Amino acid sequence: MALANTEIDELVSLERGEVDRRIYTDPEIFELEMQRIFARSWLFLCHESQIPEPGDFFQSVMGRDNVLVVRQRDGSIKAMLNTCAHRGNAVCRAEEGNAKNFLCTYHGWSYGIDGRLNGVPGFKTFYDGQLDKSRHGLAQVAQVASYKGFVFGTHDASAPPLEEFLGATGRLGLDQIAARGDMVVVPGIQKFIIDCNWKIAVDNLFDWYHPQITHASAFQPGVMGTDTASAAEREKIDLSEVNMDSGAALDLPATGISGTKFDQVVVLGEYGHAIGGPTASSSGNSAFDTTWRSTAQARAALGPVGVEVAGHPNIFPTTWIAVSVQLSLRIPRDPGHTEIWWFTFVDRNLPRETRDFMVTIACRIFGPGGVLEQDDGENWAQATAQTRGIASRRMKHQLTMGLGRGKIIKEGGLSRIEGLTGEHGQLWTYHSWAQWMKGLSWDELKRVTTPGDFI
Amino acid sequence: MQMSNEMKSVPREDRIAAMVLHYEVERFYYDEAALLDSHRYEEWLALFADDAHYFMPIRRTRMQREMEKEFTKPGEMAFFDDTKTLLAGRIKKLGSGRSWAEDPPSRTRHLITNVRILKEDGSTFEVQSNFHLYRTRLNSEETSWIGSRRDVLRRVEGSFQIVDRKIFLEQTVLLSRNLSNFF
Repeated sequence: MALANTEIDELVSLERGEVDRRIYTDPEIFELEMQRIFARSWLFLCHESQIPEPGDFFQSVMGRDNVLVVRQRDGSIKAMLNTCAHRGNAVCRAEEGNAKNFLCTYHGWSYGIDGRLNGVPGFKTFYDGQLDKSRHGLAQVAQVASYKGFVFGTHDASAPPLEEFLGATGRLGLDQIAARGDMVVVPGIQKFIIDCNWKIAVDNLFDWYHPQITHASAFQPGVMGTDTASAAEREKIDLSEVNMDSGAALDLPATGISGTKFDQVVVLGEYGHAIGGPTASSSGNSAFDTTWRSTAQARAALGPVGVEVAGHPNIFPTTWIAVSVQLSLRIPRDPGHTEIWWFTFVDRNLPRETRDFMVTIACRIFGPGGVLEQDDGENWAQATAQTRGIASRRMKHQLTMGLGRGKIIKEGGLSRIEGLTGEHGQLWTYHSWAQWMKGLSWDELKRVTTPGDFI
Repeated sequence: MQMSNEMKSVPREDRIAAMVLHYEVERFYYDEAALLDSHRYEEWLALFADDAHYFMPIRRTRMQREMEKEFTKPGEMAFFDDTKTLLAGRIKKLGSGRSWAEDPPSRTRHLITNVRILKEDGSTFEVQSNFHLYRTRLNSEETSWIGSRRDVLRRVEGSFQIVDRKIFLEQTVLLSRNLSNFF
């Protein structure tokens, strides 16, 4: 690749809070992302509860590799590339299901659920027995591991173990779901395609500046389907000279995720993981249940600092844990298209009524029909479209809110910044992205993505 | 052709009654589509019963032997899982003047075809229809959703109410940015 490390450094400036728009549109950069991020990083594949029985499989994506995640007869989980060792055809074309074998429909090579090549048509007659079947199984993903039921894989055999990769920040992110109970995925993964660059969809999850504007229509009482009507009103932020195209002043609902006195905490982690959003005590009117945090189980899992962190975690690069007890993947398809997947979690032991309510709310808020995400997609698509013009591309994206005022407090194994809404989470993601793009050794990558004292 | 043989054995007055019912149901759907395509959402909502359920399941590509698990069911995840109150919330959002994904509004056209009355018990009817919802947005965005709806309609004062609507899309991964329109 022609892109030198010095050029990569010019794309993201942590000092100026600027991002070059080229990173959202350049096919060369996209190819480099596939090699240096998606072929190296641990990536979320699925949750163990989706594949409880031997032969249960879920088809996932690592970069542009299609991967079969399969429960084995001994209870373990394997992940293998969905491509025949003979001529490359997919050996499974279903998204999920249960299989006893994977049959390649091209020439009939037949694999066990462990990926072993069992049967080859004409093994005696055509091959004369001269084929070493033990060498032509399905390719196994280099490393597969599970953290509290969340299954991850990496194509890089030299990647650090999953728990080390996640670190305290990544683990705290997954614990935001795991610590709520005996969590299982509700059947039905929402999948849809937004015509935006994947990084715009990712950085938005740290952005608590946009909800009050982007989602103004959804935060009116009665729209979200939660009890926002009775939610406490917040003091509005200053909107002086913020006017609509009609000339009318932009009037925002005082409920929902908005207003002043909205304490935030941003956690920055190694390898680019981060968590950004409100503190647990400040998110009281956002309609999401925070009572689960007071259980002994949750307090022990989250720790004294983590129990106050109620924002959105992102496991670098593309795994978002949403406050709606959902996990969303932002899967890059090409520079201008991102496939979004939503996994929804409930406690297996919830009463039916509570469970149904959680499922209804999950359908309601995010996903393509969600009253929040339908307006997000419009912004991200248009923001991506405006990176294509030569003149527009000369303008840098600005992430300067709170820049230079983010004092990093290190406590309980976590690095955090306290204050009001800022853009530190996004900036940390882009800084880390640039380091990944240099193709550093794992040790060096960890060193340059370890938070300092200020941002 | 079996159908026409069946029809032959049905008395003429019953056949005429079936045609009238079919005509009424079709006209109801055409009027409904006209409301949606002219963005008259409050009037559209009034067609739903207070206890209505509006559900678009998620569809999954599965092997033929597992087709009974192709669609998710109520209680599982969906693209839409709304009560009438929740539908009213969506309409309130659209009318707020700040529903950015629909301002400028989408241009939509609902084509309703292949109407079949599957079951009737005098006052309620189970009806399947096919739809093509064509949408364009802004200058060059184009979406086509084709699928079927299975409704439970209830007879009220010379017209019908929608008690239950299940929408089955011919897509698994949704090939559009959002579902900011009604089906």
